[in-house]
Amino acid sequence: MTTSTSQSETEPAKISTQNDAPLIVLTAPFASEDEVNLEQILANLAHAWPGQSLRVATAGDATVHAASTSSNGINLITYPQSCVSTAAPLLTATDFVTAADLLREHDAQSCLMLGADAHTFAPEVLAAFSNALSQQAVDLAVPCYYLGAHDGLVNSAILYPLTRALYGTSPRFPLATDLGLSTRNLQRLAVSARRFVSANQEDALLWPVAEAAAAHFSIVEVDAPGRTLAQPATQDLNALFSHVLGSLFSDIEARAAFWQRVRIAKPQTAIVVQSAPESAYDAASMVAAFQLAYANLQEIWAIVLPPTSLLGLKRIAQLPPSDFVMPDSLWARIIYDFILAFHMRTINRGHLLGALTPLYLAWVASHLNVIAQQGSPSAHREAVAVAFESDKSYLVARWRWPDRFNP
Amino acid sequence: MNVKKAGSASDPLWYKDAVIYELHVRAFQDSNGDGIGDFPGLISRLDYLQDLGVTCLWLLPFFPSPLRDDGYDIADYTSVNPSYGTLDDFKRFLDAAHQRNMQVLIELVVNHTSDQHPWFQRARLALPGSPERDFYVWSNDNQLYKEVRIIFSDTEKSNWSWDELAGAYYWHRFFFHQPDLNFDNPAVLEEILVAMRFWLDLGVDGFRLDAIPYLVERDGTTCDGLPETHAIVKAIRAAIDEGYENRMVLAEANQPPSQLLPYFSNGDECHMAFHFPLMPRIYLALRQEDRKPITDIMAETPAIPDICQWGLFLRNHDELTLEMVTGDERDYLQFAYSADPRMIINSGIRRRLAPLLDNNRRRIELLNSLLLSFPGTPILYYGDEIGMGDNIYLGDRNGVRTPMQWSPDRNAGFSKADPARLYFPVIMDPIWGYQAINVEAQLGEQSSLLHWTRNMIALRKMFRVFGRGTTEFLEPENRKVLAYIRHYDPDSASVNDTVAASAGSGDFTETILCCANLSRFAQPVALDLSRFAGMVPIEMLGYVPFPIITDQPYMLTLSPYCFFWFELSGQHSPTPQQSS
Repeated sequence: MTTSTSQSETEPAKISTQNDAPLIVLTAPFASEDEVNLEQILANLAHAWPGQSLRVATAGDATVHAASTSSNGINLITYPQSCVSTAAPLLTATDFVTAADLLREHDAQSCLMLGADAHTFAPEVLAAFSNALSQQAVDLAVPCYYLGAHDGLVNSAILYPLTRALYGTSPRFPLATDLGLSTRNLQRLAVSARRFVSANQEDALLWPVAEAAAAHFSIVEVDAPGRTLAQPATQDLNALFSHVLGSLFSDIEARAAFWQRVRIAKPQTAIVVQSAPESAYDAASMVAAFQLAYANLQEIWAIVLPPTSLLGLKRIAQLPPSDFVMPDSLWARIIYDFILAFHMRTINRGHLLGALTPLYLAWVASHLNVIAQQGSPSAHREAVAVAFESDKSYLVARWRWPDRFNP
Repeated sequence: MNVKKAGSASDPLWYKDAVIYELHVRAFQDSNGDGIGDFPGLISRLDYLQDLGVTCLWLLPFFPSPLRDDGYDIADYTSVNPSYGTLDDFKRFLDAAHQRNMQVLIELVVNHTSDQHPWFQRARLALPGSPERDFYVWSNDNQLYKEVRIIFSDTEKSNWSWDELAGAYYWHRFFFHQPDLNFDNPAVLEEILVAMRFWLDLGVDGFRLDAIPYLVERDGTTCDGLPETHAIVKAIRAAIDEGYENRMVLAEANQPPSQLLPYFSNGDECHMAFHFPLMPRIYLALRQEDRKPITDIMAETPAIPDICQWGLFLRNHDELTLEMVTGDERDYLQFAYSADPRMIINSGIRRRLAPLLDNNRRRIELLNSLLLSFPGTPILYYGDEIGMGDNIYLGDRNGVRTPMQWSPDRNAGFSKADPARLYFPVIMDPIWGYQAINVEAQLGEQSSLLHWTRNMIALRKMFRVFGRGTTEFLEPENRKVLAYIRHYDPDSASVNDTVAASAGSGDFTETILCCANLSRFAQPVALDLSRFAGMVPIEMLGYVPFPIITDQPYMLTLSPYCFFWFELSGQHSPTPQQSS
């Protein structure tokens, strides 16, 4: 159930000769009313590491959780509430700094960071993480969540295909809220995280998959069925894009020297997971939002997108909601051109990402129509990822020669 | 007694070897300080044009006119707009051009007149059905010819307009103030022929027949290129052939390739016609980095009579017309070449060559290399030889008709008038302004676009193949490369004979391989030149021999937007080694 995606070219992670159990860091704080959830987590952890002494760090007042310690071999550690990110459930710079400090303080060999609603992790999944970190000695273990067809769409549309195409990695959730990290990997991430924190950007996002790929660390994906994810704090898509995509595009910009050299040897096949049938959806409102934007944002889109893409958008803008489908190649090209515009600061970055929102809604409407017709969200996600991989040479070429006189 | 002056050409097929330069008298040079170009000013610039190497001047309308369509609304066919000078000035200009062995084309706008023309003023008052009335096309309602498209769709909502004085509708394919002449009335053609002979007698070498497809109307048709229209054009041609030698008529017919053929007929209608369908496809091919738009349209282009010729152009005084492409192609070209909606007029793009190409010198050179090497006669638009810019904030198509930029001095050296008095302001922004782009500066800079254009024109004129030869497109696998063979055998009886002997070795045969990279990136190409095995390609600009052709694919590496002209030579003498 795990997939190894990259091999370390340097010294592998050190295998601990002492207690192999990782340091567990619960990144989301627990209020007194969450006591039941905390109990459940601790019980699951104890089940996953039977007979082993576990160190579990959580934010908040230790006295609140006093009842949950040592009877099941768990040593509960608390860290200050002020060290908790406010951008939950996303893992931020603050989280990585905290985890790295705790790792060093307690001399652990690896770390398992668990986000909000971690009580939904099944013990077997936690055990799989354990296996990956201790016995396989990987540097990064990333969960593969089993989401509904209508969930995690930003990830399906942008985060996953982009990370896969640029870095040659396969984890489906490059911005997972749970991670298993080797010492060296976490320390490496903490270096970046501390730079953000010292610049008062505590809520800055890091991209562990990209970081591990650039460092040639080993990465493994761990199936995590049943794990439910907390909703983002903000439902404002513009704000979400600004935070998440702004961070991702900046990260891509910083790693240009690496991803431009990564060649995809062959299209990668991902695990096809059949989702439960979803309820009805409303593509009409999303299509309407896109069509309205098509009329009003032409000037901005024309600065960012080449004529072939503009022509493609014109064609789909004329489609009725029931037939609305955006070609995967068009979507990949749009994202690549927005990355380029972000890099070249063609227009204000905030405005740029705002202009992407209606295009994303168009993709969502298209995606939902496609899976309604074909019935397989995984298949369409795979097709989108392949489209990104196939068109990567376009991004590389235009990055190196940004002349906008292109097809 | 009316003395006919001869034209300046001695070769009946002079237009096949010509390099035509389109200019507007109003825009070229002002001699009397009124802010408007004139014929004396144009005379003063003939040396420049001769030095540039152009061999024929096409003048935009210079006749008396209210100038509501930049002179295409003619109020008097046999005189000169006083703002541009006198008839004597024109005669002096014509003589001066002929002395420099340059031919002169003028406009013959026969489809319509200005509503200020005496004919129309008379027609409005004349009785319905009278010969005077019937000089124009009238109707009691506006329902006739309902299927006919509106050409100036941005400004006109109908091809009919109501005239209160006449108490009737009159027909106009263009602006409402340009009523169409009625060629069903024989008197109209008679008057047109009188006007035409007036200028031929002065010695003009030819006419551009403006808006020629629209002469005759028939209900239930598109009124484009009807048989009756062709009959009128043939009558015009016959009148020319009857009384004058070595003159030429050039048809302006914005039609698909197959519908252009009738304008040549059997060589007894027009000598030349603009290849309108090719022009936007050049821009399409460049932007898409794919030769297919060009090769497809050339494949659709019918063979024309041996004495006829295509007129090739990249830009002109009108908008870059997109009528002859598909809807998707039109959308693409508008997305690709008109970032600002103000650049679009009547579905076309009103920008000059250099701004369309983002002022990229390589692209400009590449497109000019196609213009000068494709089968036909090249027509350069004034100012494009120095890469002039445009002003999209001027109305209509005026943004591409600004004063010629001669120097960095006041008013670009075009006029000594108060700048506010110029007929249009000069281009003055930091990139395209006259201080940066002008003839004087480029004459002093050996690497300038002006020198390049002059050198390329000179090179083209050394080889008759470009104007008279056959064309065969090669099909290398790399579609970003456009490669074609031009071949000319002066001893062949016809083009067909030349095709059959494309690798012939007559003493005066010319075989040219042209190769153009349409991409912004370097490209490899493998050409099948096996039938030329044993010949040596000589790169024509530098006279550099390339490796001999074998029966193996001929490999070339082309830098971004690079083009090659190779003369395929049967033998070549090695260049002596240069001592260091």
